[in-house]
Amino acid sequence: MSNSLVFCSFDAGRDGLPAGAEEVLTLARKLATARGVDLDWLVIGAQPSGVEAAAAKHGVAHIDHIDDPKLAELEPDVVVAAVQQYCGQQSPALLLISQTFDSRLVAPRIAARVGAGVVMNAIDVASGDGEVKVTATAYGGDTRVEYDVAGPVVIGVVSDPLLPEAAASPSAPEARSIAVDLAGVDERIRTVQKASSDGPRLEEAQIVVAGGRGLQDAENYQLVEDLAAALGGMAGASRPIVDDGWTDSSHQVGLTGKITRPVLYVAAGISGASQHMVGCAAAKTLVAINTDGDAAIFKYAQYGIVGDCLEVLPALTKAVKGG
Amino acid sequence: MRIIICVKEVLDPDAVDNYVLHGKLEIGDDGKTLTQTSIPRLMNAYDEQAIEAALRLRDNGLDCTIDVVCIGADPTAILRQAAAMGADEVSTVPVADGSLDGHAVAKILAAYVGAKGGADLVLCGRQASDDDQGVVPALLGELLDMPVVTIARSVELDGGSVRVTRVTPNGDEIVEATCPAIVTISNELGTPRYPTTMRTMKARKINPNQVTIDSLSLADSDVVPLVRMSKQYVSSVQGNCTFIDGDSPDAQAATLLSKLRDERII
Ligand SMILES: Cc1cc2nc3c(=O)[nH]c(=O)nc-3n(C[C@H](O)[C@H](O)[C@H](O)COP(=O)(O)OP(=O)(O)OC[C@H]3O[C@@H](n4cnc5c(N)ncnc54)[C@H](O)[C@@H]3O)c2cc1C
Repeated sequence: MSNSLVFCSFDAGRDGLPAGAEEVLTLARKLATARGVDLDWLVIGAQPSGVEAAAAKHGVAHIDHIDDPKLAELEPDVVVAAVQQYCGQQSPALLLISQTFDSRLVAPRIAARVGAGVVMNAIDVASGDGEVKVTATAYGGDTRVEYDVAGPVVIGVVSDPLLPEAAASPSAPEARSIAVDLAGVDERIRTVQKASSDGPRLEEAQIVVAGGRGLQDAENYQLVEDLAAALGGMAGASRPIVDDGWTDSSHQVGLTGKITRPVLYVAAGISGASQHMVGCAAAKTLVAINTDGDAAIFKYAQYGIVGDCLEVLPALTKAVKGG
Repeated sequence: MRIIICVKEVLDPDAVDNYVLHGKLEIGDDGKTLTQTSIPRLMNAYDEQAIEAALRLRDNGLDCTIDVVCIGADPTAILRQAAAMGADEVSTVPVADGSLDGHAVAKILAAYVGAKGGADLVLCGRQASDDDQGVVPALLGELLDMPVVTIARSVELDGGSVRVTRVTPNGDEIVEATCPAIVTISNELGTPRYPTTMRTMKARKINPNQVTIDSLSLADSDVVPLVRMSKQYVSSVQGNCTFIDGDSPDAQAATLLSKLRDERII
């Protein structure tokens, strides 16, 4: 049995790297060094262009690549089967996966197949006494929980609070092609209609202006969109106003929406519940506009305006345009 | 057909958030358990929506038994709520609070589904609002060898298939799977029905079926957690806000913009 620590990716990302790759590799590198084991990178499906450079930068020993025509769409049943077979061959002690919409389902399924413990929402991983200590968020980020896991473990890492950092010494990763047999695996879920939006992504926006219930009325969401447009950013929203249909769910920020990490996040009429803040706490600068000076949002904000967002948003839009 | 819905009892997440905001959340001597008895215990909101999803299928003419199961210390109150909403059968598998992980819970649920002679559809909330883990439906799918479709806005049955509209980061997607299948329900499904007073009164007399772990023929080793919580603490937030004063929204806007420009944020 090997003790290797494996970062497993099965998406192509936009900038040539899988989502969160560098952040999760940074965490994985730290742990591999502490345990004195190899850090390997398992790439499922077509290999994104930036993998080799990123692997070297983070001291990866092997780039293990599994490709197969069946993996073209990276559907869950084939991905799970591929990783399961890899684990059968390599017996990694730890599998780190960047948490995304898809991996949130795939990670626990892999864990079930290989009899590993599974922890999602992880933000840190450390070595304990023959065990792994995983720190994860709970209650939408209100609390942090430390879990001890004995034996193999699959960990879903939330990459947003992490900062990428190169390994002390880069490596010359060895590429290995891993053979698996997916002949008997057929996807059980049939896609009838694909999700359509292919536009700019809130997760990648540099500026986000988000509105909440404090906007009071669906039509006032326009004020959020106006300021977002004036700043060249994108519009976000809290869950209740998405539930009420003031905007569609692709705009929802938070635990069960999108995790943003913009340079500037403006929160208008948002109270600052933990489940919302998970999605914007990584913003470099957070500006809050709220009539209630005691609102939780001001605990997270760098700048606060105690005032009516129905007045402050248009004033900001006007000032941005005029300036 | 049988629809089994897995529900969890959680501490009211809004109350927890509120205590945290005021620096008053208490953690017990064991260093991990939230001990305030003033925090209400509720049915996990997504699980309520899962029950609602099943009731809507029945409203649309599906002939089905709606069977709600909860693994927990004493979930009688939330199971009565489930019955008042319209569940036909409610059961509990009693276990001590916090003693199990997702694997153990999934093993018990799988055994429960087996003891019921299987299910055509298993519905779960997308995640629990206490630990936010959301792993049980996926683990259960592996144990029961059922496809798992996550984050549903709506669920329809069409012959032997379930058709699900999923809320994805790129907008809605429609998928189908052959039953038996597991579907996790998200808040986009809409507000669950509020039981009438009459139904609530009637449900007060209902005692959930008590199903023991022994009766499910599970070995002790099946319910040993692989993942154990050792510690829980409140996350710290900086609290370093500079408030922008000004006589008017225009003046505040101007001051804020000049600060953001000075810092080269915009
Ligand atoms: C498991 C779980 C997951 C969740 N996931 C998410 C998620 O992904 N995203 C999310 O956002 N929420 C999520 N929530 C919900 C979250 O807990 C909060 O309920 C929600 O974020 C509150 O939205 P809000 O701030 O818009 O509304 P409210 O909490 O009602 O706050 C409105 C705010 O507006 C202020 N206000 C009122 N009038 C004005 C005015 N004229 N001008 C300025 N301010 C004004 C008020 O002072 C108040 O602070 C989740 C909850 C749970 C339990």
